[in-house]
Amino acid sequence: MPKHTEEKEITVGFIGNPNCGKTTLFNAFTGANLKVANWPGVTVERVEGSTTYKGRTIKLIDLPGIYSLASYSIEEKVSRKCIMQENIDVVVNVVDASSLERNLYLTLQLLEMGKPVILALNMMDIVEERGMEIDLHRLPEMLGGIPVVPVSARKRTGLDVLLHAVLHHYEEGVKDRVVHYEPELEAAISRTEENLKKYYGELVHSRWYAIKLLEQDEEIIQYYPKAAVAADINYEKQIIHQKYNYIDEIVEDTLFNKESKAQATDKVDKYLTHPVWGVPIFLGIMALVFFLTFTVGDFLKGYFEIALDWFSGAVSGLLIKLAVADWLQSLLVDGIIAGVGGILTFLPNIFILFLALAFLEDSGYMARVAYVMDGIMGMLGLSGKAFLPMVLGFGCTVPAVMATRALEKEKDRKRTILITPFMSCSARLPIYVLFADMFFGKYAMLAAYSLYLAGVLAAIGIALVINHFDRGKTEGTLLIELPEYKSPNARTIAIYVWEKVKDYLTKAGTTIFIASIILWFLLNFNLQGMTEHVADSFGAEIGKILEPVLRPAGLGMWQIGVALISGISAKEVVVSSFSVLFGIGNINSAAGMTELTGILESVGFTALNAYALMIFCLLYTPCAATIATIKKETHSWKWTLGMVLFQLVFAWLAAVLVYQIGGLFL
Amino acid sequence: MTLYEGKTGFTYVVKGIHLEQNSITRRLEALGLNEMTGVQILNRKRSGAFIIKVRGTRLAIGKYIAQGIEVEEVKKNA
Repeated sequence: MPKHTEEKEITVGFIGNPNCGKTTLFNAFTGANLKVANWPGVTVERVEGSTTYKGRTIKLIDLPGIYSLASYSIEEKVSRKCIMQENIDVVVNVVDASSLERNLYLTLQLLEMGKPVILALNMMDIVEERGMEIDLHRLPEMLGGIPVVPVSARKRTGLDVLLHAVLHHYEEGVKDRVVHYEPELEAAISRTEENLKKYYGELVHSRWYAIKLLEQDEEIIQYYPKAAVAADINYEKQIIHQKYNYIDEIVEDTLFNKESKAQATDKVDKYLTHPVWGVPIFLGIMALVFFLTFTVGDFLKGYFEIALDWFSGAVSGLLIKLAVADWLQSLLVDGIIAGVGGILTFLPNIFILFLALAFLEDSGYMARVAYVMDGIMGMLGLSGKAFLPMVLGFGCTVPAVMATRALEKEKDRKRTILITPFMSCSARLPIYVLFADMFFGKYAMLAAYSLYLAGVLAAIGIALVINHFDRGKTEGTLLIELPEYKSPNARTIAIYVWEKVKDYLTKAGTTIFIASIILWFLLNFNLQGMTEHVADSFGAEIGKILEPVLRPAGLGMWQIGVALISGISAKEVVVSSFSVLFGIGNINSAAGMTELTGILESVGFTALNAYALMIFCLLYTPCAATIATIKKETHSWKWTLGMVLFQLVFAWLAAVLVYQIGGLFL
Repeated sequence: MTLYEGKTGFTYVVKGIHLEQNSITRRLEALGLNEMTGVQILNRKRSGAFIIKVRGTRLAIGKYIAQGIEVEEVKKNA
């Protein structure tokens, strides 16, 4: 590592096992509101932030949680590359003190990399609660003298001490020989180090590279092929084994009263992961989540509507008083306020949905879902782990698609990415709330439920078909850590929910705002300039092209064509489009709904048409942000566009089926 | 015997891991599941998925993995 002592910035990399409280600690320093959850694999990309301590700027990088520095998963590769190649001055290894034994494995590997390491002993409160004790003098001794700092990310203690340690140790190297392997292995390491030197000159941390070469690490072999040992000799098993032997020694020497207290987690697990009742309990919990979303959300919604009505009226009045040009009045009131404001009234539903999901994630239940659903997912050729992104999909498809990184195999990832958009995300919620309320009266909630179910069934059906033609070999390969249950932390949940609410508001202020303006323009102009008759506008022209295609699905209105195209920018835009298209000021209010229902019913648009529309919205092309994420994750435009096309056709077929078959009975 | 044949509530000692997929073996080892490590079965499902406790951590593992872990029963100590 080149030693330029810049007085300004120190770069610190946060690394640790999944679910060790790394991100919570990172947030405590940077004030950044990163998402935290009590299940492994939340941080899928590195995130940066910064803080200052004693006048020095300290740049912090939060890396994905990993168990080891091998190169088997994407997260491991990302983290390792970051530590190896970037100018990270200090590594802060965050360790779950209540699970020291497993966490130290990563620590020993980090020490071998030769960068300064500081051990942040997190969750010391839990250790104390359980009556365990850690010898804080002996532990650093056994880890080559690195600083060991007890912290509590949740209670925000020990933070300054940690920064102090960063400041004082960032220039110190570590003893790269904390673990002494058995003589045979040490000899092999020395031989490989010599070979490295012979072919590639003097290397910093050559011991680490030598060890990785002996482990047959694919990446390192590519860098230093000449120093690699014969492919049939793999020392990896021995190396892991001997590291754990050393960990056993450390634990023996430093940890006291191990597990003296019975753990509540096992008792709770008796019920929640019950062989028979596990699945029904999970379904019940999800049903409760959506019940709360609809009922409590609807209760709060009323106040938002009153506020919007008042605001819209006030702006309108003001504009008339100021004698603002007609077109500008129209743009502001019919375009922007109707479009953006209409979406804002759904905020309470979104808020409740994410609050419920935050509770599930923070409590530690989410990882159990992977176990509970493993049997069912096995029939689809996927592991239970693939179910986690699907549950996340109920919130937003974008992070759900990114969460598929936790799946080891590329094929499983792609399958999961393909079916995740069928899980009804929160953006589709306004569509269901609106149309179910308008056309299904007291059965509105049932209608909305059925769409969630239809989405899940579509996902399962497609996975089944794929598995029929291309049998997945992942059956029974589930492997996931189940964290301890904990009472959800108010701060963590607040950050999580606020992040989502902020996203929603941002989307309303950007995507939906712009979409509303464009839509307003398309609906009020044609080649001759501004037009009085919507039916002559650009928008109508575009919509009319789609009319014949959508007719078999009962959606043969040019307005619907326009709304669906706009909906690709963000699914909520389908709803805001209806406001703008039909000139309804407050679409989510009783008056607004009655008005829209009246207009639609007058052209023969019934509950069946509404249901076909909702089915189409559920299944068709996900929003632009999702498409971009899928492209990024799959690295293939061909695959992404193929998926988009498939979903479009699938949605059309499903909507046509619903409308045609429904028509036979109604 | 394999872990798959084990009973809920019992503790076993790992004798070896025999899985076709080398990457899973290494991952299990990295998680601390090595020869001579103690494994307690906490829960199992009919589909063959298990919840086990290794080195103080709970892991959920699938049938295929459970079948590939060779174990030996430990006499229950009070």
